[in-house]
This record gives sequence, C-alpha cells and structure tokens, in this order.
Amino acid sequence: MRIEMRRTTALLLALSILSATPFFRAGAQRSSNRQQRTGEAPTPPAPAETVIRNATILTVSHGTLQNSDILIRGGKIAAVGQNLKASANARVIDGTGKYVMPGIIDCHSHSMLDAINESTYAVTSMVRTRDVLNPTDVDLYRELAGGVTTLNILHGSANAIGGQNTVVKIKYGRPAEEFIFPGAPPGIKFALGENPKRTNFPTPAGQPRRYPATRMGVEEVIRDAFTRARDYKKLWDEYRARLQKGEKNLIPPRRDLQLEPLVEVLEGKRFVHAHSYRADEILMLIQIADDFGFKIRTFQHALEAYKVAREIARHGAGASIFIDNWAYKIEAYDAIPYNAAILVRAGVNTSVNSDSNERARRLNIEAAKAMKYGDLSEDEALKLITLNPAWQLGIDSRVGSIDVGKDADLCLWNGHPFSVYSRVEMTFIDGEVFFDRQQDLARRADLERERATLEQAEPNRAPSSGGTSPSLPRGRRPAYGHDDDELDGGNDQ
Amino acid sequence: MPNHRFKFIFAVVALAALLSSSVPIAQAQDSAIDTYAITGARIVPVSGPVIERGTVVIRNGLIQAVGAEVPAPADARLIDGTGLTVYPGLIDAYTTLGMPQPTPQASRTGGVGASPAATPAPSPSPQASQFSSPNSTQPVGLQPELQAIDYVRAGSPEIEAARSSGITAALTSPREGIFMGQSALVNLAGANATQMTLRAPVAMHVGFTPLRAGVYPGSLLGVFSALRQMLLDAERLRIATLIYEKSPRGLRRPEHDRSLAALFPVLQREMPVVMFANTEREIRRAVDLAEEFNLRLIIAGGAESWKATDRLRARNVPVLLSLNFPRRTTAQSSEADPEPLRVLRARVEAPKTAARLQQAGVRFAFQSGAMTNMADFLLNAAKAVEHGLARDEALRAMTIRPAEIFGVADRLGTIEAGKIANLTITRGDIFDKSARIAYVFIDGRPVDLRPVTPTAPGGANAGGTWTLNINLGEGDVASTLTLEQQGGRLSGSISGALGSAEIANASVGAGGEIRFTAPLTIGGQTTEATFTGTISGNEMRGTVQVEGRSPGSFTGTRPNAPPSNAPSTTPPTQAQPRTEEISK
Repeated sequence: MRIEMRRTTALLLALSILSATPFFRAGAQRSSNRQQRTGEAPTPPAPAETVIRNATILTVSHGTLQNSDILIRGGKIAAVGQNLKASANARVIDGTGKYVMPGIIDCHSHSMLDAINESTYAVTSMVRTRDVLNPTDVDLYRELAGGVTTLNILHGSANAIGGQNTVVKIKYGRPAEEFIFPGAPPGIKFALGENPKRTNFPTPAGQPRRYPATRMGVEEVIRDAFTRARDYKKLWDEYRARLQKGEKNLIPPRRDLQLEPLVEVLEGKRFVHAHSYRADEILMLIQIADDFGFKIRTFQHALEAYKVAREIARHGAGASIFIDNWAYKIEAYDAIPYNAAILVRAGVNTSVNSDSNERARRLNIEAAKAMKYGDLSEDEALKLITLNPAWQLGIDSRVGSIDVGKDADLCLWNGHPFSVYSRVEMTFIDGEVFFDRQQDLARRADLERERATLEQAEPNRAPSSGGTSPSLPRGRRPAYGHDDDELDGGNDQ
Repeated sequence: MPNHRFKFIFAVVALAALLSSSVPIAQAQDSAIDTYAITGARIVPVSGPVIERGTVVIRNGLIQAVGAEVPAPADARLIDGTGLTVYPGLIDAYTTLGMPQPTPQASRTGGVGASPAATPAPSPSPQASQFSSPNSTQPVGLQPELQAIDYVRAGSPEIEAARSSGITAALTSPREGIFMGQSALVNLAGANATQMTLRAPVAMHVGFTPLRAGVYPGSLLGVFSALRQMLLDAERLRIATLIYEKSPRGLRRPEHDRSLAALFPVLQREMPVVMFANTEREIRRAVDLAEEFNLRLIIAGGAESWKATDRLRARNVPVLLSLNFPRRTTAQSSEADPEPLRVLRARVEAPKTAARLQQAGVRFAFQSGAMTNMADFLLNAAKAVEHGLARDEALRAMTIRPAEIFGVADRLGTIEAGKIANLTITRGDIFDKSARIAYVFIDGRPVDLRPVTPTAPGGANAGGTWTLNINLGEGDVASTLTLEQQGGRLSGSISGALGSAEIANASVGAGGEIRFTAPLTIGGQTTEATFTGTISGNEMRGTVQVEGRSPGSFTGTRPNAPPSNAPSTTPPTQAQPRTEEISK
C-alpha cells in the first residue's frame, strides 16, 4: 500500500481490497481447500460462456465497432460482432453505453516483488524475479482496477546486466504459479548509465566501490559478460561433442547460472529489456548486440530515443517509454513529450509503461497524452498500452487486441478509456472476472462487519495491562493525495 | 516433594560412589538408581489404546514394560501414579536449544549516554558469526557442513524451561544463515552434547535471509540463485568424485570441498531439508525449490501452510508447525491507524491451522517457534484442539509425528517396551488448562522441574511499535514501525510520511543488530530501502540505503518493550500513560 489517497477513500478501498481475494475466486478448478480459507460459501463456478452485449469495442487491431457483442468461451474470445448467439446459461453483461478494450499491458513493472535489486554484483543474470513474486501485493488489485491484465515484472536497474524477468497475468487471489503467462518468452533486464555506474548511489562506508563507475565501464562489463558467455557455450558444445563421440569418464563442465541466460540471449531465446536514457548509450548497446550477434528487444525509458529512432528501428528493437516524465536526474533531462509519436512514425514498436505502482493504475491516460503530443491516432495511442507491449513481450499472438481466438483479457469501461472521467467496471483475464466494481462496492459493508468481529476476537484484543501504546509519529504528517507525485519519473528501477 | 527425595538419594549414592572409587561424578550418577515403576497411573501410550490404570516400568534408560497387569520389580523406585497421566515424552520439533547466544555487539556509540564523537565510528562490517566453518570456500551463511552437535551446550536456562514445560527432546539447529547447517535431535538432559544426542545429523536447514554488508547474496533474489548454484556445484562435484575415484589417471582431481560435499546426502535424498517458510508464498517457493532439485522437504514455521495443502500433500511434505501463535501486543489508541485486516485475520486463523492440516492429510509436528514463554507450548496446543484438532492427533504432533519425521520412531515417541524412557507425566489431562507437569523422565531418569519463567528470545527484543525518524538528507521524517518477533526473525510493517508497506528480509541478532528492507515512497517514487542498525533497550539507530540517494540515517524509540510472556500470565505492569504519548 504505497500510495496514499485521501484517508476515507483509502480506508474503504483498503478494506475492500484486502479481502476482495476470495470474492472473485470463481471457477470450478479451485478446490474446497481454497474456499475453506475464508469459511465462505463456495462461489459458483464461472459460466462456460460470457457475452458482453451492445458495447463500443476498441479492437485495436481492426478499429472501433459500435453496438457490438463479444462472446467469451473457454477463456478465449470466441466471436466479435453484432447479435451474437450465446448458450442459454451464458452470463450476459449489458455493455450499453460502455467501452471494451483489450487488457492493458504494462511493459515495465516492479509490482509483486519481494526484492527488486540484487545489487552486490554488476552482472546478476542468475537471479530470477520468478523466485520472489508476492501474489498478495495490493498494488495488483489496483492495477486490475485500472484495466491492466498483464505485467512485465522486471529486476531493478542497479546492474549492467540484471536479473531475469517474469511476464504475469494479474490473477489476483491465486498463488504465484497461476500468474505466470504461459509460453511468454523469457527475458532479462539490462541497465545503462547512472544506475549501474552507481552515480546516485554512494557506497556505504567500509565497503569497496563497485565496478563499474563510468559509462565506459558499463560497456566493458557487458562485453566481458558476453565474451565469457560465448566461451561458456563453446565449453559445453565441446563437451557434448566428446560425449557424442562416445568418450568415457568425462567430467561435465560446471553449470554457471550467471552465464546460461546470456547464452540464451546469444541464441535469440531470451529477450533483452535495456534500461537506458541517452542516445549515445542506446547506440553503444546496439553496437554490442551487433558485435555479438544478438538483438535488443526493448529499450526501456529511452527518453532520448527520438534522437536515434531510425537506428532503433533498423536494429528491430522496441521502445518502452514514459510520455511526459523527465528531469528527475541528469541523464533524464533531454526529453520531449513527442518521443512516442516520433518513434511510431519512424517505425519503432513503441509502448508506454508505468515503472510505478501508482501510474500503472492510469496507463489509459498516459496513452491518451500521445494523441495530444504528436497527433497519434486513437488506435495508435491504444496500441501503446496493448498490442505494442504485447509484441515487446512476445505474446502478441495471445493478447493485445480483441480478435477471435485470443485470450479473453479485457476491460470494460463506463466511458471512453481516454477520458479522465472514465472508470473500469470489470476486468477479465482468460474470461474470468478479476475486478468488478459493483461487487467491490457491495462487499465493503461485509468487510466492515468482518473487521468488527475480528477485532473482538481474543488474539486481537489489546492486552488489558502491559503492552505498548502505538505511538504517534513525531514529525509532521503531510496531507495525502498531492499531485506533486506526478513530477517524478516513477520507480525508475 | 518427591523431587526432594530423589535429590537426596542421588546425593547419597553419588557421594558414596565418589568416596569408594573416586570415579567422576557423571559416572557416579550413571550408577545411581535406574529402575522406576510408575504404578496405578492412567497411561496414554499413543501407540495403542489408553490404559486407565496401569504401570510403566523403566530400567536402564528404557521402557521395560507397560500395561495394566505389569508388576513393579522389587528393586524399582515406586512412584504412586494415582491421579497422574503418563504420556510419551514431548518433542519440540524445531528449536535452537543449546546453541550459543551470539555475543552482544558493543554499542555503536560506545554505550548509552556516550557521545558519538568520543569513540571512533565502528565499521559496519558484520559481527563475526558464532557459526562458521574454517577453510570453507563459501561465505559464512552458506556453509552447509556446520553441525548443530558441534555447538550444543548442556544445561542452559532455555533447556530447563523447555523440560519444565514437559518437553523431553528437541530438534536443535544453528541459528543463522541461508544454508544454516545440520540439526541434531537431542534429549534435554545429559551433561554434554554426547549424552544428549539422540540422532545427528537429522536434517539440513535452510533459511532465506540475505547475507549482510554487501556480500552476495544481498537480497532474496540472490538467495535463491545462490542456493541453486551451490546445489548444482555439489551435484557436479559428486559426479566428478565418482568418476575420479573409479579411474583417476588422466583426470584432474576434483576439489575437496567440504561445503559442497555436505550437500551430497541432501541431493541423494538421504537427508531431508528443513526450509523456514511461514507465508503461503514462502511455502510455495520452498516447494518449488525442493521440486527443482528433488529434495526431501520439511517446512518449518508453516503459519499459512493451510493455504498450500495442495502442494504439501502432493509431495508429502511434513510441516513443523509453530505453536507461537501471533497475538496483539499493543494497547488501544484512538489515534493509531486500524490494524490491517490481514493481520487481524492471521491472529484468528493461527490456532485453526493444525486442524486444517489434519483434514487435508498433511503431516505435521508441533514446534515452539522461539516462543518466549514455554508454558504456551501446551496452552496453544490446547487452543488448536479447541479449534477442531483431534486430541489424539494433537498429542501425536508432539510425540510420534516428530519422531517419524526425524527417523527415530523406532526408539522414541510412544510408550512401548524397549523404547527410550522419555515420559511426560501430568496431573490432569495434558490439554487441560489446569494440568500440571508432575514428572518428566528423560533417558529413564526424572529431571528437576522449575517454575516456567520467560526466557530471553533468540534475538534481542525488537517487537513492538517503534517511532522512527528517518533522515534522508532533508530532515527527519516520521514513520511508525511495527515489529513482530519470532526468535531472530521479524515481520511487520512501516507506515508514515514515506508510505505504508510490509517490511521484508527482516532479522535481529542477539546483540540487537537489526536489518530489514521496505519500499519507501519518496516524492512519489517508491523505492526499496535497506535499514541496518542496532537496538539498544528501547532505542534503535542505524543507516538507511535507498536506491538513488545518499545513505541516510534513522533513529527509533518505543515506549517500552512488549511483554515477553503470554497475556494469560502477564504480570500487571503499569500501562504507559497516554498523556506522555501525546506530548511527545
């Protein structure tokens, strides 16, 4: 619960969020074990079919359809059109006056991480965000409430070569293993510039300064790592060849978890998501990639990408940027809000990410700004948070647009998603409802009652004697909900 | 009264032996009375039906006979069991009993009241660990060759407190680390580790606390990678050694690495691995890791194990379930934020966990979970019974289940002829609040019982609500830090002007060294911060590392330490006056 709102709404929302979990747990596959968790009546299994009737459908891939239906069957989009036939027991959602768009995809998130950086080394390709996912992070529920369905969970940017990413669907309420996006290609975080050279992160007293300390050093660290990875691959290739020849008594080479993912990068099996700001360092990394024969999948942040848009396009990389956040450190000054438009016009696959649990709830507005700055069309702007990040994560055949056969990852809005006045009514993942505003509102009274009951329970009663009073913070307590938050560049990890 | 009689007899016999043969006292005691008969008692053998009125005969450290019609031998010391119930000796399935207390670290400022300027600033290098292996190629904290049995010391107050609460044997493991080392099952009586040991090593122990002071792995991310790499390296060394031993000519000899070699029995499934995991996600991560390397997993802690019974049952993973149930320790304050629903729920759910595991068919044994008042062990087991756990199952969880899990069911855990004579004898039913421990037999001898008094926890007392002032270069910013403690492990939350969040990677040493991480919200950016400091009494101070900023500092105070015993036995200490709180 990192961002505070006005206290009353914060309290209500928190109450609803903290126990929304069991409420949205529909589906037959959840065992009695799960229902037993709360002692509540089992939720009815999700209907085999759901149909959204008479909505405005922002397909992203083939324009906007008025007064149309979407049929969801088996977690997939089964049909899109008018007057669709659905089975008698299908759940029918009236979409009159409402808008449906594909679930939003955030290509840069640090939600649900119990640890973000392993900053002891400059190369930590061995660490995996998959190991430290926290599926109970309340930010996830807030992101669902903003229409987000898929996240690229990235390691932080402390290291030239950071840890492995995880692409997840926000199946809030489920264990972490059910979040994993099936079949999403693996990826890895790289980082250039001030963060890996630790410009803004002075060394704690008594500890040696970590190498690298300059942009030259960052480049060297990456080249050195790939040189080692190439040697490592050769070592294993030779061993396998000797094994093939029937040689006996061979001791296998050491498996090196740091170099294995880099070999996968060299083999084109693992996507590189490179945190970067300046045009020169973007070109530097493209040069390294060309020298070693691999591809950068995305430049993350890439505030100066507009200066080298053609080079990025030629390399075949995407760019995942902020629309109008900059100047939060030296390397983030030379930015313009037309970055997205320039990149799109240059043929670069471009997305807008959050890098912030706060901004992740309002990526729709970030995309809308791209229409103001540089005159992107509505579909082009929508693609920044749907189909384009889907390509950047290698999942565009599954999600990112409303097309028959794709996963039913959708969000239903009460108005056009590019309006600041619009709200998400429902969010679907694989055809299941993971956020429902009406149910959330209805549940709040139950939660108040549950709290009252729990507070009376013996282990929750304050000790009649002894024990400490919760003390008050001594300093000034600032007001909540300042929009000043938005002056920053997000988590910038 | 009977105790005094025994003591007297012991003294006379010991003295006589000493005078006659000048043998060491320990041996002299060995030759003292070793035959006892508890007659006319209710006997709960666990292995079979309850004997309403029967006799247990103990000879030479073993149970010689048990039954309704068993006669007491002529040479036996008789104990009138009328009104008593005899149970198998209770086993505490996870402790650090007998492990050395880490030496308290000198205060960073040279003691309370000393001027910081008067003493040179100590380097923030980590305190030398009590547990380290000489010549290991691995850093302290990743040395699986460490053996609890090398560190066990007999006769600590904690051991006395445990057995006075009816506990006769305990699994004890080194206190700290990622690969913490190997545990031992010990009897809680005996002059030294050799006499105490029932079985060693029993299991490999894994904690997930990152190493300190900039050493890899410095985060939970790295912890998993370091565990994986060591297990892979060990497996390669194992294979290389096999190949080399078969035919060494022409091969470079594999390194002789005792740290890696200690993992061979783990990889071969000869030795189980106890992983510390409380939340559902921690448990699922542990199961994932065990599946990846085909390890024989045991979960220790298990607070939310009832949410992961699917995985636990599928892999037949037993749980060493902590009876140290959470409870509220802070007084009411109308000014404070309400406690999160999650916390309120967890406290209410805790006593229900055992019954849910039973229903789901997950094996479990009870452990004390570093509770500070050992009287809670039986009281909380009784709470589990109140919340639906079958009585006999609760008793098994303290006797035969741990014996099975630790591979000693053939010699411990039930009252059967030929088994080790560990017995817990109560006046009243063991789950009755008014029950009293009457006798405890360990290795066939009655042990002294003392009134149970709370003992110092594994780590310095860090629990409670702290008022933190965090200085990140722009003046003090206030936050409230709420800590719940389980031995050296901490959990809790931080809230205030820098946002609200759960803390992670939290630990406290016995010298008061505290460490935790928390996401802070600074000017809209949410960033991970690492707090490292020292607790001294009701004050703490230290440094804050925040990504993207110069290191900051923090100080903290709490009105007073939380009581270290159960509410039911809390002495009526004076409540903190509210007025003082508000005037701060």
